[in-house]
Amino acid sequence: MRKALDIALNDLRVFFKDRGNLVGLIVVPIVMTIVVGIGNGALAGDAPQRVRVDVVDADGTALSAGFIEGLRAANRTLALCPFDSGEDDLCGLGDDRTLTLARALERLVAANTTAVVEIPAGFEAKLQAGEPVNVIYHANDALSAQNIALQAVQAVAGRMGGAQVASALAGRLADSDGLALTDPAARAAFQQSAYERAAELWSADPAAVAYRLSAQPETRITSRQAGFGQSVPGMGSMFVMFTVFGALYVLIRERANWTIQRLVMMPVSRGQILAGKILTWFTLGVIQFLVVFAAGLALGVNFGKDLLALAVVMLAFTLCVTALAFAVSTLLKTEIQANSISLLLALTLAPLGGAWWPLDIVPPFMQTLGRISPVAWAMDGFRSLLFEGGNLGTVLLPSAVLLAAAGVFFALAVRRFRYD
Amino acid sequence: MQTMVEVRGLAKTFRRADGTAVQAVKGIDLDIFKGEVFSLLGPNGAGKTTTISMISGLLTPTVGDATIGGHSITRQPTQAKRLLGVVPQEIALYPTLTARQNLEFFGRMYGLSGKALATSVDEVLEFIDLRDRQKDRVETFSGGMKRRVNIGVGLLHKPQLVYMDEPTVGVDPQSRRRILDTVMRLKEERGMTVLYTTHLMEEAQELSNRVGIIDHGQIIAMGTVGDLIQKVGEEDRLFLKVGDQAVSDEVLRRIQERVPGVTRAVYDPPGAEGEDRSNTSGVIIVSAKRGRRALPQLIQIAMEAGIEIQSVEVREPDLEAVFLHLTGRALRD
Repeated sequence: MRKALDIALNDLRVFFKDRGNLVGLIVVPIVMTIVVGIGNGALAGDAPQRVRVDVVDADGTALSAGFIEGLRAANRTLALCPFDSGEDDLCGLGDDRTLTLARALERLVAANTTAVVEIPAGFEAKLQAGEPVNVIYHANDALSAQNIALQAVQAVAGRMGGAQVASALAGRLADSDGLALTDPAARAAFQQSAYERAAELWSADPAAVAYRLSAQPETRITSRQAGFGQSVPGMGSMFVMFTVFGALYVLIRERANWTIQRLVMMPVSRGQILAGKILTWFTLGVIQFLVVFAAGLALGVNFGKDLLALAVVMLAFTLCVTALAFAVSTLLKTEIQANSISLLLALTLAPLGGAWWPLDIVPPFMQTLGRISPVAWAMDGFRSLLFEGGNLGTVLLPSAVLLAAAGVFFALAVRRFRYD
Repeated sequence: MQTMVEVRGLAKTFRRADGTAVQAVKGIDLDIFKGEVFSLLGPNGAGKTTTISMISGLLTPTVGDATIGGHSITRQPTQAKRLLGVVPQEIALYPTLTARQNLEFFGRMYGLSGKALATSVDEVLEFIDLRDRQKDRVETFSGGMKRRVNIGVGLLHKPQLVYMDEPTVGVDPQSRRRILDTVMRLKEERGMTVLYTTHLMEEAQELSNRVGIIDHGQIIAMGTVGDLIQKVGEEDRLFLKVGDQAVSDEVLRRIQERVPGVTRAVYDPPGAEGEDRSNTSGVIIVSAKRGRRALPQLIQIAMEAGIEIQSVEVREPDLEAVFLHLTGRALRD
């Protein structure tokens, strides 16, 4: 182990002797993190992020309008389309602002909206008759934002259902207590009055606050957090790949210079040599992460409450990328190949895995495809910590996937690594 | 004499990308004795580096084994390598590190540390005469200075056996002289055993107690320089420079048949346009007893064939002649 450590220390000394490497390790990643952070809205101000929910009102009555108003009141972050689209076309409807159920469902499949709320025809009539009525809620399971809409729908449905029960109860009371409301119109007016009163009371009920996102201040996302919270782990992951994939070129050059062969001819085992080389590039990957995360800290990014979980994701990803680099290095022969492949890998795996933008905004098939990139798993872990108040438990799955992949890549690398 | 290196049936077969097998070394037997300089002499591609790479543990033999100081390179590689100092043909150094940093790192790989490491590095710097440049980056050194650091790395742990693979390749004559003197000092002052590979017969002849001549992956002759020269008897070699003029097989046949004492006549054609030419390209090489007496007839036959001889050189028997005698080819081929 001592010799592996000596090899790693020597390689790190060689790396840092080249001042050009410092530019690639510090300056470029920080600049890119800031630029991509701004691109992701870091300096856009702290206006709340709106979550699109398409509402198709097939009833068109006062009660259905009340339902929609209830949704809006339940959560102000919801953009109820097409009603809230406004001049800046918040809903992304284009010139045609009408929204049919078919169109709304198409938008859902294309991830242009997070959910579709369908208010069926006869909604008001059935509600007033005390009959069961279903508000149909369509959602895309791949989108986490749909939970916010679902909570709002549940809250409003519950409230309206409750008001309807109050109304029905009032009708029964009118009959049983001999209030002399024999005139059907008077009875209906009494019931309506009871409903409105109940609905008014429901809306004033503090319990409704439980469904509002703003009730969870610790997960409130500022624009700074939204922008740099995406770019810091994203660019960090990408530049870890750039740095660690540098091993592809350096290993080939070391073979050409015969420094690896010279080590083999010394009383050093092949295992010690490989361990030393792996330790070198793993350490550089961790340093790269720390540089970008330190910049993130300076930019005001909140890394969440669980720094241990953050370290676990960071180390698991770096180990996975290091193992991948050493596995790929067994296939390459020239420095030109090494440069091309390292660029190709980093520039493919980074956007595919959501390093440049959140995977939530890409089509579902791209989200699925992105899972082949270790970046996607790392970003799952990072985003749960930075945006959802996650902890060690929430990063276990992505970290386990990264470590399993690292195990497979290391097995390939150890088996096929060339020393001559 | 005590044996330092014992090689038995050592062979290496490489597999090409198309699946065909190439036997680079074909079962070598070899003994190198303690305290001697043993040169492995052969043309490029003869199998010298492959043989040495197997002895030093870089390549695993396909068949056979070798021992260094009694330790098998296949079964006890770490013990065997502790006795071995390696000087590869390439400048296997970190160019951005200083001479001292390079020596310190490789010293640690040989298991040195602390004061022992510092003392050893100082001694080596003194030995290779680079103490005043120890804090300079290796990339700022001349080719000869880099070669000296490259040699120094192999001496750090005071090995019993030093292997040097063509250490004078690409250096100027002054640096070459210095390297050859270093080899002699290793033997004489430190009593080290040196395994030296070269394709330059002058180096092998000057340095070696014994020489093994290798060609096409086989040792074709082995012994002291004197023993080997005995193989060709008293034959001189005559080098008739003809430049770019064509020399037919008929002319060579006539030389062998008509000139008394001639045992062999070969033509070493000039290299292609722009190719780096050695001093034997465009030359008719004739092996003959009492070579000077054969000279007038050789010139006569050349004139008859319309070949103008530009210069003539007569050489006494040497290792080049031995190689020519054994293989029918010049050593540089």
